[in-house]
Amino acid sequence: MAIDAKGPGWGRRLLMCEPRFFTVAYEINPYMHVEVRPDPEGAMGQWAGLVGLLQQAGASIERLGPVEGLPDLVFTANAGFVQGGRFVASRFRHPERQAETAVDVAWARSQGYVVEEVPGKEPFEGAGDALPSGPRGVVLAGYRQRSSIQAHAGLSRLLGVPVRSVELVDERFYHLDLVFCPLDDRRAMVAGQGLDDYGCRVVRSLVPEPIWLEGSEAAAFCANSVVVGGVVVMPACPPRLGRALEAAGYEVAVAPVGEFLKAGGGCRCLTLALDVPAPPAVAPAPALWGSA
Amino acid sequence: MPTLDAPGPGYSEVVRLDGHVLDSLVLVKVLDIIVEAGASYKILDFDIGTTSRDESHVRIEVSCPAEATLGSLLERLQVHGVNREDSEDAQLAEVDQDGALPDGFYSTTNLATWVRLGGRWVEVARPEMDCAVAVSPDGSSARTLPMHRARRGDRVVVGMHGVRVARPGQWRGNDDFAFMTSQVSSEKPKGLTVERVAASIRRARTAGPDGRLGKVLMVCGPAVVHTGAAPAVAALVRGGWVQVLFAGNGFATHDIESAVLGTSLGAPLGGGQPSEHGHANHLRVINEVRRWGSIAAAVGAGWLRSGALYECVKAGVPFVLAGSVRDDGPLPDVVTDTVAAADAMRGQLEGVQVAVMLASTLHAIATGNLLPASVETFCVDINPAVVTKLADRGSRQALGIVTDVGLFAHELAGSLCGPSWQAQGPHGH
Repeated sequence: MAIDAKGPGWGRRLLMCEPRFFTVAYEINPYMHVEVRPDPEGAMGQWAGLVGLLQQAGASIERLGPVEGLPDLVFTANAGFVQGGRFVASRFRHPERQAETAVDVAWARSQGYVVEEVPGKEPFEGAGDALPSGPRGVVLAGYRQRSSIQAHAGLSRLLGVPVRSVELVDERFYHLDLVFCPLDDRRAMVAGQGLDDYGCRVVRSLVPEPIWLEGSEAAAFCANSVVVGGVVVMPACPPRLGRALEAAGYEVAVAPVGEFLKAGGGCRCLTLALDVPAPPAVAPAPALWGSA
Repeated sequence: MPTLDAPGPGYSEVVRLDGHVLDSLVLVKVLDIIVEAGASYKILDFDIGTTSRDESHVRIEVSCPAEATLGSLLERLQVHGVNREDSEDAQLAEVDQDGALPDGFYSTTNLATWVRLGGRWVEVARPEMDCAVAVSPDGSSARTLPMHRARRGDRVVVGMHGVRVARPGQWRGNDDFAFMTSQVSSEKPKGLTVERVAASIRRARTAGPDGRLGKVLMVCGPAVVHTGAAPAVAALVRGGWVQVLFAGNGFATHDIESAVLGTSLGAPLGGGQPSEHGHANHLRVINEVRRWGSIAAAVGAGWLRSGALYECVKAGVPFVLAGSVRDDGPLPDVVTDTVAAADAMRGQLEGVQVAVMLASTLHAIATGNLLPASVETFCVDINPAVVTKLADRGSRQALGIVTDVGLFAHELAGSLCGPSWQAQGPHGH
């Protein structure tokens, strides 16, 4: 059912973590309320449903083992940023999540990734705040709410690709993956509500045909979708947006993740793309003297 | 030639911005934020990445009218990746010999200056050019230190690190006259010029927000008396428009001679032929004052009963008479040690907001050397070279007014003391 010509060119191999220990144990975003705990069985069911839809769309799922006491480990998008054989580990802003990094790094090492860290001490929350965008390997990166812009130059150096920084101006959209969802070389779903004018201009320069989300669509986490080829797996899809995606040639699959929304995460947050390609090597400079 | 490159708010900090700041529009945003905050910027260095993969590096000087605004602005900019350039504390060295400074001592300008001590920017008290900066033993304060006053064990700033100098700012009153310039012009309408000087003096004599009045310093050369301007200066002192007076032996002698004998260097000021042996008049006057012991004593005895210095004594306006090698006498009040004279002048500068230099080269330059750039300085002389000289020696805040000092002083007294000032002589009340 996947339409091969569509899609961003990555996102067919995903890391996910079973929500066996998922709960709301602290409050680090406007959605979390410790008195509104997710239903454990409901969460397990929704997660299994999401896995099923992603697999149906053609994605292969790799597993990160859940750890008791790390309820947000399920949101693997924040584990780090994977590019080629390299795993750039996150540095969480909130102490509540910092213990996740050791688990993420151990997993990456066990899989043979070269584990790297953005130089410095500034927070960087992985693919939650960094998404490849467009054909030229540019990474769009969010800052202010969680990641710091001070980490972006170091990230660019590590990845060998330009990083364009956009400010996340609304705490409801605290990660970039709540406002930006790349679809392919020309398109992305964008919640301009979470960006300022500068950010919107940067997005326009990278995405010639943006699908701007309306307020209610952005609030329903529509941008927090997983694109597998020509299928968009979404937490919700109001009719207007569904028609726009279909007009762009995409098939929509809705995966209800209401239990995870209680912790401020949607479909994308529950996955980490493992197949973002490394940039093409820069052509070596011609030799200064003749070869032997 | 432009006389002003930018409005000059006094507080500035150099910051850095690195990364893909062009394509991300972060640089544009940062500059917009700076301008929206009422601050200004100057791009000091801009290293643009050659390909889209390369980072750019920008060094920006951010300037603000108020230090508090600058601090909060820099905090806001930090979110967007703007970092203060690594600041170091000022380096200090101990004075190892009285009256001499350690190698590499920081030599001051007359602009407001800060030094970084223990991570904190401390304003240097009493800005004065060509001094060292001495730091208090506990490192909490700093002041300018003239070379000859250095004492063993004093700690002074060496090198350029951790020193910040304010850009020359605009004067209060944002009008076309109030620019920082040494521009000399004989083409300006004099009436207008006199009114602007009078306005500055009035402003200084109006209580500021702290309830304190500024002082007006007048520096007088001998030509003030020759041109008949001494009564105008006397009226200004009497009217409370002068709080400090600097001059030399010449001005003081001629002022007293004209008050006592009606001549200046023997020439009758009211007109007529020089009296016989009149050239000796000034020596007789000096001799008489030396007999009294001081100008104040001569006034107290009733011998000296008018003139600028008489009014100073009467009004309790301090004056410093600095000597020079060609002085006759000199008068007993003249400080003949030039270093001591400069120190005596320094001692009277606290609170001075306006300085008016009338027909004086030597004393105008000496005073200019001691004044902070923040003091509004007017240099009135028939010879434009005096103003140029003052500016060339660093007193760039001085505004030159090329005119006859007699006319100028009369008009200034008329403006400040009322048109009938000449009728209100010392004996008229």
